[in-house]
Amino acid sequence: MVGPVDLFAAASAEGAWTVGEVTRRARAVIEAGLPPLWVRGEVSGFKAWRSGHWYFTLRDATAQLRCVMFARENRRLPAAPAEGMQVFVFGRPTVWEDKGELRLTVLELLSTEQGGLWQLAFEKAKAALTRDGLLAPGRKRPLPRYPRRIAVITSPDGAAWRDIAAVVGRRWPPPLAELLLVPAQVQGDGAEDSLCAALGRLGRLPGGAVDVAIVGRGGGSKEDLWTFNSERVARAVAVAAVPVVSAVGHETDVTLCDLVADLRAPTPSGAAEAVTPDRQEVEEALDRLAQRLARSLTLRAQRAVDRLERTGDRLTAAIEGRLERAGAQLAAYGARLDALSPLKVLARGYAVARDARGAVLKRVTQLPAGLAFRLRVSDGEVPARVAES
Amino acid sequence: MPESEAPEFGRLVERLEEIVRRLEAEDLDLDEALKLFEEGVERLRDARQRLARAEATVKKVLRVEDLDR
Repeated sequence: MVGPVDLFAAASAEGAWTVGEVTRRARAVIEAGLPPLWVRGEVSGFKAWRSGHWYFTLRDATAQLRCVMFARENRRLPAAPAEGMQVFVFGRPTVWEDKGELRLTVLELLSTEQGGLWQLAFEKAKAALTRDGLLAPGRKRPLPRYPRRIAVITSPDGAAWRDIAAVVGRRWPPPLAELLLVPAQVQGDGAEDSLCAALGRLGRLPGGAVDVAIVGRGGGSKEDLWTFNSERVARAVAVAAVPVVSAVGHETDVTLCDLVADLRAPTPSGAAEAVTPDRQEVEEALDRLAQRLARSLTLRAQRAVDRLERTGDRLTAAIEGRLERAGAQLAAYGARLDALSPLKVLARGYAVARDARGAVLKRVTQLPAGLAFRLRVSDGEVPARVAES
Repeated sequence: MPESEAPEFGRLVERLEEIVRRLEAEDLDLDEALKLFEEGVERLRDARQRLARAEATVKKVLRVEDLDR
């Protein structure tokens, strides 16, 4: 005989599952049934905790999925995704038993937008630097014309250092200028700290003051160059004690350091050329100065001679002038004297009456009747006697 | 910071340029002009010597750690 049906048998303490059992079972089912997979969706409700872990929801038109990306994984990314960003994530579906939630533990995250997360990080950092005026062209300092000590911050094993040393050696080697290598890590973990430390030391390097610095590295992938897009490193370049020339990667790579530096060079060799004068050109410039120096004295001598000659001419002219005037004056006097000459008077018909002693008889009273005198005319003398009146 | 005794290259060239400028433009008397000219010749010689002495290889390359000692 069968007893009454126990409708609540499934609900009895012995037959029911605990919540923990259900969630644990669900988790096992999910993890077995859904391998790690790529999911696409839109980021929503993003929150980064102080622990470094990221929590967000991935959604599409009809559903949503809670996600977590732990610090260990997200540290590799240049930036956190923005709200509403379209992304691809690679993650392991699971059940978060604590909350009884379906969750995706994210291992990789890519943005599908232009340039992806890299671009986002770049734009954010660039905006911050621009806001602080660090990208202003007016901030750029001029490079010294003849540098005495050049610091180079780069990897000691890289091609960049070799290129720079070769170019400086050709153009402006010791003792004209001294080259000082400040070794730094240029990519990977620790590169940011290494570069910031090196840049911070530029004002305090041993051996004497440095007038200019080059910071750079050779070509590489976007990830390799990423340290030079770090806001921290860019700020260190901006406040460096001496003018900085940035030479990162190839011509087409532009990093934040390039934008903030006092000069951007397309390559490390280009940077070396920019900071040093060309010895050949300087020699030619000195030759031209030498010519001008020599000519300046000849010019000066020539000018002095010219001036003397002109003065001599003027002197001569002055003297001749005076002589002429004096001559003319004399001639004038001569003419006047001539006119007054007694001889000339006689020539005009006048006669001179003189007594026996030679005294001139001018008055009628000196010429009584019968007096004998001598009469001088223009060409001689005749005896004469005053006639009876 | 150690100071070098001789003026550095940059100052040499600047002084030379100034001398030439003055000799060409200013109305100096002969005495002053000759003195400047002599100084110019000296500086020119100095500058040229320095260029000639520069070696073709970067021998005196220092690493910051070496100097830290």
